Amino acid sequence: MRNDSDIAVISTAYLPSVRRNELTETEMLITVVDEALDKVGLKRSDIGFSCQGSCDYISGGTFSFVPNLDAMGAWPPIHESHVEMDGAWALYEAWVRMRHGDVEIAVAMGSGKSSTGDPAEIHPLELDPYYLAPLGVDPVSLAALQARQLIDTGKSSERELAEIAARSRRAAADNPRQQVRSAESDVDKLLAEPYVRSPLRRSDLPPISDGASCVVMATARRARDLVERPAWIAGLDHRSEVHNPALRDLTDSPSTRLAAEKAGGVAGVEVAELMAPFTAQEVVLRQALGLGDDVLVNPSGGALTGNPLMSTGLVRIAEAAEQIIAGGRNRTLGHATSGPLLQQNLVCVLEGDI
Amino acid sequence: MSTQTSQTIQFPYKRTLGPVIGRFFSELTALRIVGIRCGDRVVVPPMEYDPQTGEQLAEHYVEVGPAGTVVSWTWVPEPGPHHPLDRPFAYALVKLDGADTNLLHVLDTGGEDTVSTGMRVAPRWRAEPVGRIDDIEAFVPGETPEGPTAGEPADVRTMEFFSTITYTDVLSPTLERYAASMRAGVITGQRCPRCDRVFLGRGYCSVDALRLGPEHEEALPDHGVVSNYTIVTPTPYPGQKETEPFARASVVLHGDEMVVSQQQIIGVPVADIRVGMRVKAQWFPEAERNAAEISSKGWGTVAGFIEGWVPTGEPDEPAEQFMDRVF
Ligand SMILES: [Zn+2]
Repeated sequence: MRNDSDIAVISTAYLPSVRRNELTETEMLITVVDEALDKVGLKRSDIGFSCQGSCDYISGGTFSFVPNLDAMGAWPPIHESHVEMDGAWALYEAWVRMRHGDVEIAVAMGSGKSSTGDPAEIHPLELDPYYLAPLGVDPVSLAALQARQLIDTGKSSERELAEIAARSRRAAADNPRQQVRSAESDVDKLLAEPYVRSPLRRSDLPPISDGASCVVMATARRARDLVERPAWIAGLDHRSEVHNPALRDLTDSPSTRLAAEKAGGVAGVEVAELMAPFTAQEVVLRQALGLGDDVLVNPSGGALTGNPLMSTGLVRIAEAAEQIIAGGRNRTLGHATSGPLLQQNLVCVLEGDI
Repeated sequence: MSTQTSQTIQFPYKRTLGPVIGRFFSELTALRIVGIRCGDRVVVPPMEYDPQTGEQLAEHYVEVGPAGTVVSWTWVPEPGPHHPLDRPFAYALVKLDGADTNLLHVLDTGGEDTVSTGMRVAPRWRAEPVGRIDDIEAFVPGETPEGPTAGEPADVRTMEFFSTITYTDVLSPTLERYAASMRAGVITGQRCPRCDRVFLGRGYCSVDALRLGPEHEEALPDHGVVSNYTIVTPTPYPGQKETEPFARASVVLHGDEMVVSQQQIIGVPVADIRVGMRVKAQWFPEAERNAAEISSKGWGTVAGFIEGWVPTGEPDEPAEQFMDRVF
């Protein structure tokens, strides 16, 4: 039985991840909000709270998130908020806000256009400004340091990384909203490709992507009237670790493990959508979560085949929710990460009515 | 045809370091690397707090290295402009002798086949250390540091860091049409079928969140009324070009509620600007009009096409009718 105050994901929408979307971020957001609301017959005036996730550093303009707020319209006025984080954290804020009890329907969004800048130029500036930023260390180099430690400590192998890439690419071939859909997926051929940053090859890295996503949530009082099979949020938690990756054990993710415990644990989870933009990070996350071989990981194709920053994490939760809403699963997990090398991790455990 | 606009944002940071990072950087100027004691461990680079528990640490410094062991590495075969070396190099996690954590830094070995996990490395110091993490230019193979002779440490309290990012936008279809019409000297707006408001180069109604397309476009007058203004006394900061007090005004286009804000009023002293004043656009010569100020992260702007607004000399509109508005 559900309590009236229980909260469910009732609808989701996201744009195909592409190298460059010609629409502005606001236009992309209007499109996904329209689509997500239309699916369940809601209007913007039905929404009690909205929260967006985006990043001015990626967009390249101070307060560039302000026009994005237009995606909800200015009238009638509703409570709205913004996080300078992936949309998964916008969902977290909306979920917390709903638990006050006076909002029955809320919307979380995520959007980003990485096409406007060079990630190797922008991302060092998100790092510790004293010890790391002056070294210009780019995200792919950081990921390679993590991958090599994982391999050197015997927790993974280049072959396992190639198998993750191959599996993700095969999954993406069936998902028209993923960006890398027709790339090589033979493990031996991938292993024969040159390194971009040893021990990582092109297939171990995500594409550069534009995209936007929207997730609609409702309390139990409304959810069942709006959708046949709501995806109930059984637990939602996020935890973070020290910023500087060099001070952490990069082969483990205690913050992911703790967030999962606080969100109700992984027992019974059938599908996990993990935000692992680099193959080695999927290994770290799987091991930290203790996911068994029977858990289906990233059937969407995952962040490896479509990585619209600030939306990628919310898409994982959307995909995990759709596994219940449309896929008939009973228990799924969506994960999002933020900061360098899995610094901060969010876990959302979702359940269907049995 | 698509229009690309490019913007470079620069951040000339000057940061205070605090006691712990300041001490670490001060020691670097004397070619010494220090960590901080954290329980029975030594954390390098030193932090003000325990990386695991967040508890503040006592300022108990321990000299470490200068040599250490490579714990992980990756090779950068084609360095970009933001990388620290202009020839192929490695990033590495180095565990300095006496430290219990890793230091992320740069390895200069000459070739990828000369790097391996477990190899021994030592710092190559900058000729004249200033108290920055890149006073160590790179770590090099072996046990022996390279560089100048150590002197007395400087008292380093701040760090300057200049960062720059260039963004390249491809204009959206809406902005592309808007820019084309502005190049031709016509302000084009989009009228929302629901609320009848007009927007410049936006692609949607901000009130109703309705997408607006070419079918909603119409030419707007290039004259209107000053609805609000402010006089700014400039203070110097990076990027500020004004030296004398200047005005920024909002102009309501004739017959509509469309406000063009942050506009210059040309041809009158700032003291003569008033609410209700009728003005018309002063367009740049056609050859000089450009879309450089238009970007996908905002709305349509007249900057780059309209230099400012000139009083027409016609009688003012009554100022009272603009009093209840923000812009
Ligand atoms: Zn409207």
